[in-house]
Amino acid sequence: MIGSKLLRRAAIAGLIGGIAIIYLALVGMIEKFEARHLIGDWLNLGRLMLALPPLLAAYLATRPRVQAGRVVRLSRGPAITAGLVSGVLAGGLAALWVAFVHLFPDGAVRNIFVAVSPTLLSIMTFGKSLLVGALLLVVVGAVLGALGGAYQTLPERLRRPLSIGLATTFMFALLQRIIPQLLFYLNLDSTWLYSTTFGGLTPIGAVVVFVVATALPALWASRGQMVRQRVAQLPPARRRTLNVSRLLLLAVVLVLLPRLIGSTLSQVLGQIGIYLLMGLGLNIVVGYAGLLDLGYVAFFATGAYLTALFTGAHLVTSLGAVASPDFVLHLNFYAAVPLVILVAAFIGLLIGAPVLRLRGDYLAIVTLGFGEIARVLVASSWLQKFTGGPQGLRDITDAHIGSVGFRDPQPFYYLVLAFCALAIFVSVRLADSRVGRAWSAMREDELAAEAMGISTVRYKLLAFAMGAAVGCLSGTLFAVQIGSLTPDSFTIVVSITALAVVVLGGMGSIRGVVVGTMLLIGLPGLLDEFEEYRLLVYGAALITVMILRPQGLIPNVRRMRELQEEEVAQDQWLKEEAPAVTAAGGGGGS
Amino acid sequence: MSTLLEIRGLVKHFGGLNAVDGVDLDVEAGEILSVIGPNGAGKTTLFNVVTGLYPPNGGSIVFDGHHLVGLKPNQVCSLGIARTFQTVRLFPNMTVLENAMVGQHSRTRSGLLGAVLRLPHTRAEEQSVREQARDALAFFGSRLASFREDQPAMALSYANRRRLEIARAMATIPKLILLDEPTAGMNPKETEEMISLVGKLRDERGLTIVVIEHDMRLVKGVSDRVVALDYGRKIADGTFAEVSSDVRVIEAYLGKGAVKAG
Repeated sequence: MIGSKLLRRAAIAGLIGGIAIIYLALVGMIEKFEARHLIGDWLNLGRLMLALPPLLAAYLATRPRVQAGRVVRLSRGPAITAGLVSGVLAGGLAALWVAFVHLFPDGAVRNIFVAVSPTLLSIMTFGKSLLVGALLLVVVGAVLGALGGAYQTLPERLRRPLSIGLATTFMFALLQRIIPQLLFYLNLDSTWLYSTTFGGLTPIGAVVVFVVATALPALWASRGQMVRQRVAQLPPARRRTLNVSRLLLLAVVLVLLPRLIGSTLSQVLGQIGIYLLMGLGLNIVVGYAGLLDLGYVAFFATGAYLTALFTGAHLVTSLGAVASPDFVLHLNFYAAVPLVILVAAFIGLLIGAPVLRLRGDYLAIVTLGFGEIARVLVASSWLQKFTGGPQGLRDITDAHIGSVGFRDPQPFYYLVLAFCALAIFVSVRLADSRVGRAWSAMREDELAAEAMGISTVRYKLLAFAMGAAVGCLSGTLFAVQIGSLTPDSFTIVVSITALAVVVLGGMGSIRGVVVGTMLLIGLPGLLDEFEEYRLLVYGAALITVMILRPQGLIPNVRRMRELQEEEVAQDQWLKEEAPAVTAAGGGGGS
Repeated sequence: MSTLLEIRGLVKHFGGLNAVDGVDLDVEAGEILSVIGPNGAGKTTLFNVVTGLYPPNGGSIVFDGHHLVGLKPNQVCSLGIARTFQTVRLFPNMTVLENAMVGQHSRTRSGLLGAVLRLPHTRAEEQSVREQARDALAFFGSRLASFREDQPAMALSYANRRRLEIARAMATIPKLILLDEPTAGMNPKETEEMISLVGKLRDERGLTIVVIEHDMRLVKGVSDRVVALDYGRKIADGTFAEVSSDVRVIEAYLGKGAVKAG
């Protein structure tokens, strides 16, 4: 017996899951991702995409609800039943769709939906006939749904390590290009962990990773408290040493990384670094000061073009001759960078000044416009003599120390690392300072901040200038990395990506920005098949985060401090008077 | 006693509504002045105009020798007027201590460079900001101290949020503090406590206090002087006994004819 409300919720979730499967099939993701093996030859990314919708639908439909101020968890029976309903509906809808496609003669559907190939249909029917395949879809959906529901009813101390274990195994499988490389350089055998034929984890490797990744957090949950207490009791000087040594360890790993993973993957790291800088800069504007800037690409372009013009570059004239821009300096790269930062900060002020009075949506719209203006300007014939117009600039002088250039991925990585370290240092210091407090007060309540003596004009301008100063470094690196610039590199997509990085990771959180960049820039860089679906994945990721975890993956500490017991105790009456949850009744019934 | 705040012929209208309609008001240094009046009498608007949130349509405000008309709220705050809001306006995601530390903003100087390089004088300043903030919090005894310092303001109980707002205002080291309904939503015991605290605020911290209040226990308990507003005009000015027996005040609250009938 489950309540009608729960049933309805499960049904809706299941149908959405089914639609998700059909959508993923229609855009071609399932077929394309079939080639990326995760574990042995039986789990690949395509199949995972087929399996996740029923699982997630069931999991989300049976989420604990808040009733009369109290969290109500479902008991096992209703949760599994509801999950079953979700799963059957998701699988059933997918099966119906497959059957529907089979109604038409060969190729009829494919004329409209290019992705609906025979291969896709064979994947979705598990290589069996239509009837068996459709049945299998429903059955598999049901099983996954039931699992999703059951997972929700596990006690927290089991669910947490299990979730970490699953996520780690998934990450190990996705990092199939990096980890074997690492092991190879360390002279370790990786054949037991990663399958040489399929590329993904071997079944044994997957089990080992899963067990270890589950056991460690479980162990930490029981022992971690003690360790944390002991660390807290250390004298400040000792704790400082501990922190410094942790940082040093991280630094050593980061410095050795490109040697371990090779040139191709170092390029991905460089890409991550460029977006990390952009994310850090935007984080100051959006995360710290709460000013939604959708035109951040303007500073990326500023940094790139200024670096080119300050260090030396050529352009192609309309007659096809290679010429020097009308304004070009041939400064040393390290002399040019501070200059670029200064000019970019000034441009940040210029852009900030007219939008001081705007808030929220209006600010977003205007800054969106500024971003486009930047792109149009650098492409315009008006500035053609400086920026090279649509053809852009080329032969940008490489930055170098002695005779070592930075254009190659591995040296470039070190340049990126240095810039990122600097930007992170500045961001951390700013957050915990008078300036950072003023920004965060302004973000939380502009009027109250002003009444407390904070000049919002001044601090908004400061945020724009600081954001521009940090963000322009990404452009600088970009110019060094590719050596030539065209306006096509500075589209609105760059702004959107930077914002996605900040929002996904957690606004105002530096760790969040790092993790966000790794997920949104690093993963597509490692898995080529993502490239085509990049924006789709960004959109889906953002919507999911906004609904399920609006504070971001790794939120700012300020936003997730735990409530102390005493204050919670004031709400004691809620607990005493909350509706009794019976074993069979479930949450949805009342 | 010298006059700290001098308001002359202050006018503020919104469209056709005269929210403040030619108010003259003197606040003496060291006094506790209550502003009373029915809803919509213009009390909060008066505060908002004085603190620079709204520009007035006419009149003058002189505080401690400075003309306030035309100044921005943050400048008014730097001159030494702090306020609380009728609807509590804390920084909900910042901790209790951070909220109070924000109050110190106008009394400190360090900027970008100091923040990034953490120079010795910046560190000393941060230290003093923390001490001043703790000092302001300590005014409320254990209510905002110790472990509560690190809680986000949104986790506080309603009464504690009002207290924190006062502490934040105190941390600006003001000469004059404007309290907008400090006991709204408090229970009788908490109101009682607030009455003694408002008195202490003047006696121990030497502040001049203007308080908007509906709770007559507080008005009676703390005020040296009471001013009544109605329809943006001052209708009475005097001791609590004088104002509370004023015919026009009673009429403003209860309607015309109330005096005869009562």
